[in-house]
Amino acid sequence: MKKSLMLLVVSLAFVLSLAPNLFAEVGVTDTEIHIGQWGPQTGPAAAWGSVARGTGAYFQWINDNGGIHGRKIVYHMFDDGYNPAKTVAGVKELQEGTGIFAWASGVGTSPGMAVKDYLAQNNVPWVGPAAGSLNWVNPPQRNLFAVYPLYDGEAKALVRYAIEKMGKKKVAVAYLNDEYGKNGLRGAQEELKAHGLKTVAEVSFEAADSDLNPHVMKLKQSDADMVLLWTTVTHAAKVVGISKAMKFEPQFMSTSTCSDFPLMMSITKGAWEGVICATFGELPDSDYPAIVKYKKEVFDKYAAKEERWGLFYYAGILFVEPMIEALKNVGPDLTREKFITEMEKIKGFKGLGAEVNFKPFDKNDMYSRQGASQTFLVQCLAEGKAKKLTEWMDIK
Amino acid sequence: MDMKRDYYEDVRLFSSPAVVFWFVVLLGALYLFPLFAENYYVYVANYIAINIIVATGLNLLVGYTGQISLGHAGFFAIGAYGTIILMAKAGLPFLLALPGAALIAAGFGFFLGLPSLRLEGPYLAIATLGFGLTITQVIGRVQLFGGREGLHAPDITIGSWIIDTDKEFYILLITLTIFLLLFMRNLIRTRVGRAFIAIRDADIAASTMGVNILYYKTLAFAVSAFYAGIGGGLYAFVLKFIEPEIFTLMMSIMFLAMVVVGGLGSMMGSIAGATLLCWLDLKLRNILSIPYIGDWLEHLSKNWFSITGVSNIQFIVFGTIMILIMLFEPLGLFGVWIRTKKYWRTWPF
Repeated sequence: MKKSLMLLVVSLAFVLSLAPNLFAEVGVTDTEIHIGQWGPQTGPAAAWGSVARGTGAYFQWINDNGGIHGRKIVYHMFDDGYNPAKTVAGVKELQEGTGIFAWASGVGTSPGMAVKDYLAQNNVPWVGPAAGSLNWVNPPQRNLFAVYPLYDGEAKALVRYAIEKMGKKKVAVAYLNDEYGKNGLRGAQEELKAHGLKTVAEVSFEAADSDLNPHVMKLKQSDADMVLLWTTVTHAAKVVGISKAMKFEPQFMSTSTCSDFPLMMSITKGAWEGVICATFGELPDSDYPAIVKYKKEVFDKYAAKEERWGLFYYAGILFVEPMIEALKNVGPDLTREKFITEMEKIKGFKGLGAEVNFKPFDKNDMYSRQGASQTFLVQCLAEGKAKKLTEWMDIK
Repeated sequence: MDMKRDYYEDVRLFSSPAVVFWFVVLLGALYLFPLFAENYYVYVANYIAINIIVATGLNLLVGYTGQISLGHAGFFAIGAYGTIILMAKAGLPFLLALPGAALIAAGFGFFLGLPSLRLEGPYLAIATLGFGLTITQVIGRVQLFGGREGLHAPDITIGSWIIDTDKEFYILLITLTIFLLLFMRNLIRTRVGRAFIAIRDADIAASTMGVNILYYKTLAFAVSAFYAGIGGGLYAFVLKFIEPEIFTLMMSIMFLAMVVVGGLGSMMGSIAGATLLCWLDLKLRNILSIPYIGDWLEHLSKNWFSITGVSNIQFIVFGTIMILIMLFEPLGLFGVWIRTKKYWRTWPF
């Protein structure tokens, strides 16, 4: 009798000691919200490391302006060196050790793919993976919200503009032989088909190719009047340069990946002038209010002195803006369920990038989790300046 | 106490009942580990176990047979892709697909072993390096292998057992690791193992004694590639998604570093080397959280190296540890182990 009473008391005490944990959400306390991100600071993709640093500066700015409903964001960023095994290790360590409320952004398709199932199984929200991949939303997952636009939409917008506004008929596509390149190719093919046309040449590139003369030769032989470049930045620059030397001068168009005009102009020694690109964010030197504000209040104050105000850096802000919006909308009583509900309510949200829209989860509708589908076109002018050719266009 | 009376005593698997006892204790501890450990540590253990398998295989080649390979990431990739494709496209069960893929890797190992008959040292290193780099290029171009978009790993089922957590995978993985380690231990103490060692020490002398150099050199490559293939096949299920870019030159170099830091020509060395390097690779970033030193390192890094902060320091520390081990203990971690053992054997005298 005495023993069982003792047991009862002990177990009751145990349950009570657990009780506060039972009701609180993982990674949220009265004063803190824990948010994690992986980002390569070393290794082959280190150039994209500024995405995670941009997010970090943005969170610091939010904290210094009072945080979110009295809570400060505790930002856990770690370097995975673009090695998915290290991404998984870091995510599990932080998720199970510290306890992370939600994950922000994160560079790369393979690092992200390695943790996608794990985060889904544990229903941990994840907003804005920093890679354009159909894998995020096809099939859609309840916990995963993609903000990065899908490349096929960009390709459609470019081809449509070339045909309808510029009267081009012979379109050739130069694409990188990976998911990114093929998404671009697919978009172009679909748009051409809708106009009753076909590509005049499709030239595939490998990331490691260094002699591009044969590729450009093929493009020239096709006699295309518009060439769509869905390649790496380096390849795109080389193709434009070699074409000029070969006296092959069609209208070149390219993706948002190559829309950093000052950079493109300096590596092509001016040959990039006149190229038309799609873009998913406002331009770095534009007078768009949000850009001016973030540059002044976030970048100038919190960035290291060698940092550059470029697309990657403020993409780190762009990808997580909807997350912050939803966190604010949830109010003081923060749980993951409420956060996901608020994410789903985001409609017509306008930050640095395209308008963001989510919908209640529908496993057959990838646009319930693919937030951005807008793009606009810009043309490169002398000295790397950009001319806006169109307004934001919604293309699916 | 340590007197050996005949050759078989020297090569016995277990030298005394005490060793058997401790071996059983170790096995028990390994199998009970997931009951007590957090999921994260089980994942780390899985990652380490896979590297132990590869390092053991590579040590057979480098440490026992005296050859070199900078292309083991290639065999690793063949194992990973082979396993997934045999399962997803050919419908084989996991327990057949894994050794099947490893056998394909072993076949490639055999062919790569052929040039080793004529090439030595740096020349062989370059030949294997070329192989490692070529494999990922080829995989990236072939649509069956998913090209550069990569492949998803299917679920592993063995009978009615569906393996979908780290802990379940650990049980499978640790069983395979122990089996492969025992097999390697056995291989080395047989005639085959002695032939490998004879080739390493002096291949001309070995061939005059009747060791078939062609056979044993290619065999060493094939067995080593088989182990890398098994490791790769298991790795695919740890990541659940593979693409060619994962299998980099850096990966091959890390495998080699594990073997050298651990100790050439020693199984204990492979295990210790793989464990240490994997652990450092995953955990070194935590030097940031050491009070004072962490802040100081970050400050140093940001001011003198680059804006990415401590990540560079992490690599510098990593490299320094490797250099120090090689400088003060040329036998690698295995040398430390031998010295410790000797010290305690005669303790306290």
